[in-house]
Amino acid sequence: MTSSDAPSAGAAPAGAPPAIRLDRLSKNYGGSYAVHDLSLDIAPGEFFSLLGPSGCGKTTSLRMIGGFTEPTAGTILLSGEDVTALPPDKRNVNTVFQSYALFDHLSVADNVAFGLKRKGVGRAEIRERVGVMLERVQLGGLGDRKPGTLSGGQRQRVALARALVNRPQVLLLDEPLAALDLKLRRRMQVELKQIQREVGITFVFVTHDQDEALTMSDRVAVMNEGRVEQCGTPEDVYEHPTSRFVASFMGTSNLVPGTYRDGQVVLDCGPALPVGDRGGVADGSSVSLSIRPEKIWLSDFEPGMALVRGVVRETVYSGPTTTYLIELAPGVTVSVLEQNTDRSRMEDRWSGGESVEIGWRPEHCLVLE
Amino acid sequence: MAQRTPSGALRDRRGRSASGTRLWTWLMLPGTLWMTGFLIASLILVATLALGTTDPLGNPRFGFNFANIAAMADPAYRIVLLRSLGFALIACAVCLVVAYPVAYTIALHGGRFKNLLIAAIVVPFFANYLVRMYGWSVVLSDGGPVLKALRAVGLADAHTKILQSGVGVIAGLVYGFIVFMIIPLYAALERMDLSLIEAGRDLYGGPLRTFFFVTLPATRQGAAAGAVLVFLPAMGDFVSAQLMGGPNQIMIGNLIQDKFFQGQNWPLGSALTMLMMAVLFIGMLGYLRRTRKDEAEAAR
Amino acid sequence: MTLRTPHRRHRRGTDRRPRVALTVTAVFFLLLYLPIAVVVLFSFNGQKSLTVFKGFSLRWYSAFFHDNVLIESLGMSLRVSLVAMAGSVVLGVALALGLVRCRTRLGSLAGLIMLVPLITPEIVTGVAAMLLFKGMDITLSSGTVMLAEITFSISYVTVILRSRIAALNPEVEEAAMDLGATRWQALRLVTLPALLPSILASAVLVFALVFDDFVLAYFTTGVDPQPLSVRIYSAIRFGVQPTINAVGTLMLAGSVGLIGLALAIPRLFGRRGGLDLLSGK
Repeated sequence: MTSSDAPSAGAAPAGAPPAIRLDRLSKNYGGSYAVHDLSLDIAPGEFFSLLGPSGCGKTTSLRMIGGFTEPTAGTILLSGEDVTALPPDKRNVNTVFQSYALFDHLSVADNVAFGLKRKGVGRAEIRERVGVMLERVQLGGLGDRKPGTLSGGQRQRVALARALVNRPQVLLLDEPLAALDLKLRRRMQVELKQIQREVGITFVFVTHDQDEALTMSDRVAVMNEGRVEQCGTPEDVYEHPTSRFVASFMGTSNLVPGTYRDGQVVLDCGPALPVGDRGGVADGSSVSLSIRPEKIWLSDFEPGMALVRGVVRETVYSGPTTTYLIELAPGVTVSVLEQNTDRSRMEDRWSGGESVEIGWRPEHCLVLE
Repeated sequence: MAQRTPSGALRDRRGRSASGTRLWTWLMLPGTLWMTGFLIASLILVATLALGTTDPLGNPRFGFNFANIAAMADPAYRIVLLRSLGFALIACAVCLVVAYPVAYTIALHGGRFKNLLIAAIVVPFFANYLVRMYGWSVVLSDGGPVLKALRAVGLADAHTKILQSGVGVIAGLVYGFIVFMIIPLYAALERMDLSLIEAGRDLYGGPLRTFFFVTLPATRQGAAAGAVLVFLPAMGDFVSAQLMGGPNQIMIGNLIQDKFFQGQNWPLGSALTMLMMAVLFIGMLGYLRRTRKDEAEAAR
Repeated sequence: MTLRTPHRRHRRGTDRRPRVALTVTAVFFLLLYLPIAVVVLFSFNGQKSLTVFKGFSLRWYSAFFHDNVLIESLGMSLRVSLVAMAGSVVLGVALALGLVRCRTRLGSLAGLIMLVPLITPEIVTGVAAMLLFKGMDITLSSGTVMLAEITFSISYVTVILRSRIAALNPEVEEAAMDLGATRWQALRLVTLPALLPSILASAVLVFALVFDDFVLAYFTTGVDPQPLSVRIYSAIRFGVQPTINAVGTLMLAGSVGLIGLALAIPRLFGRRGGLDLLSGK
């Protein structure tokens, strides 16, 4: 189930005029749509992420906001002003490119000063602002170095400084952390979030890493094949996915086929499980019951829970957690994620072949058509 | 961003605005206009002058006379043309035979010295062509080191000459243009996946068979490029035949040169130039058809 | 470009030192340098002979420097090369930029036209150029040589620059525009500096090519002055004086120096050796 977003679904929290409004934005390349009828509002000061797999249109959308790609249809409004026809140098927007795109023939300081020079800012002011910005991204003292002599993480900060020093209304970031190794990436995620809070600028962040999006964003737009599938806070998107795509893209999700009947889902493999009244779902229709592994319990069930029996097929120990693969019926397997708080000893954990009962709260599962 | 093409449909994802391409078109214009103007105008002139005549003083006059075109059928010219083709093709073949081992050795066994060795081949080539040919003619002369060495090993006697013969001319052509064969071959060998050779040794055993059945086909395109790059200038060359050959080794280039300078028959010279260009054009078409067939086969 | 490191290649000892190929290579290098060695050697010959070397002397060099005609030709060749270099680089760089960025039909057509001088035998371009000048009633002079050489050299510059431009990171230009530069400013401040090593290398290359060029100059030169190559040609044809050896040696030294410079320029800028230029051909 996909939803082409009406402005209300992607609307900014009430009050402030949106920093960015995309109105029915489309980009068509010779017959196929990279971005189709995209409408979003992004609030000022928001850390907003465009999340999705390769080819979903997130980067194309970003490039249209930045002015590097001309939309086939639709408008782009920055703080109420229509900038759709403006070239990049005339928009009050700056970009951090995935390749960083640093000017190798200029020093770090000259890189950062580039935008200010174009604007005609005075030399003294340039020196001051560049100095402050380099300190803020922890590159103080490296101003005279050439980008070619810096590490990947340092180059990333130069790109960031170069964009931020111009005090744009909006900062666009195109998968800026993709080239960094895991530890550095985690650190940069925290730093970026801090910087964003300090500076107060709206960030539009493109990523394919849902962990990253969940950690950093105020709101996330999950995109697929040129459209926004769902837009909301990280919690909204993770806990209450509105489509099969979002449910499976954000983390892992078990999908069990069945039929919806009056507050219950009758699984194809037999048992009928309570799911509560799902108003939008037609009685008798084929559905998938979606439940996240961490929401499934293996003991101490509460009254009202949906319970079903199965056989443990695999036990996968991963330090703080254990994952059990439980077969409900031939071909129907669910994974259950449990923290190893109680069951720290081998004997306490279930092992292959054991019959076990699993359960979950009906409100934690989704019924997807 | 070429490395991030998600799908074929998004290939041109830069989506430049119309105003953007204007700058590039303006930049391209002067160079293009200059070259097009120059080339087209001059070629038209050559073609039209071929239809011209000369006045009693020897000055070229434009006209509408097919005498020169008809003269092309003259057996004398045909001989020269065929000879030029022959020399050029033989020179090509010799270049191929010599360049392969050289490029092979440098590419696969050059190690750290690869770049140095290639430079050592390329740099002399950029020295003055005339000076090199002149030196070559001295080296190949009757008293020169090459004949001395050949006589010492018994491959030649006191009467053998290299200059003033077809061998001399071909030697001149090879010396002048072999670099054009070495560079593409070297590039192709460099790019070749060495595991192909290892697989070949596994299958064919000997180094020679591996070369013929694995290396040669894999670098076929480089060889073809080199052949073209040698053949074209060789066809038009006149210095080799002049310095290294005798009156029986005249090439079409010499004829053309003669008509424009000593002989003072520009229309005839133009006709000869057109003739040579026609032959080259046909040759190129054949080559292009061949490569397109090869590419189609490779794509299957 | 090869992704293999030099070490791995060394370990692939599939053919143990192929003897035949090595011999051919050795003989090749010998024969390649023999004519050059002869010319250089005999430029220092004390005697007027071309076969017997007797006594070391600089007389032929002195003869060259005292020969006004030859010196005048040298000056002309230098002037022609300089102008051709400047003209072809300016036009060629612009053309290369346009060709790579302009995806229109005009662009692909222009791309093909630009290759024509590279594949036509020089005698054809020589004849064509000469007829063009005569047809427009322009007397042959150093000017006509310059014009002809520029035309021929544009192709070299464009070929070299094209691959380099295509390899540039397009995001860098976009970043410049993102930061407020117009397209023209981005070109001037960011793209051209990035291309500088290739531009300089191609400039030096063109200078050397034009300086040594013979056929085209032969057809498009006036009577006086004539480029050095043409004078050498006349001297070779009509009886050799050993001064030619001296001139030849000097030209050789000059060309070698220039080409070495052209190949080394990218290295001076912190990149790998300039033979990348050639592997593109």
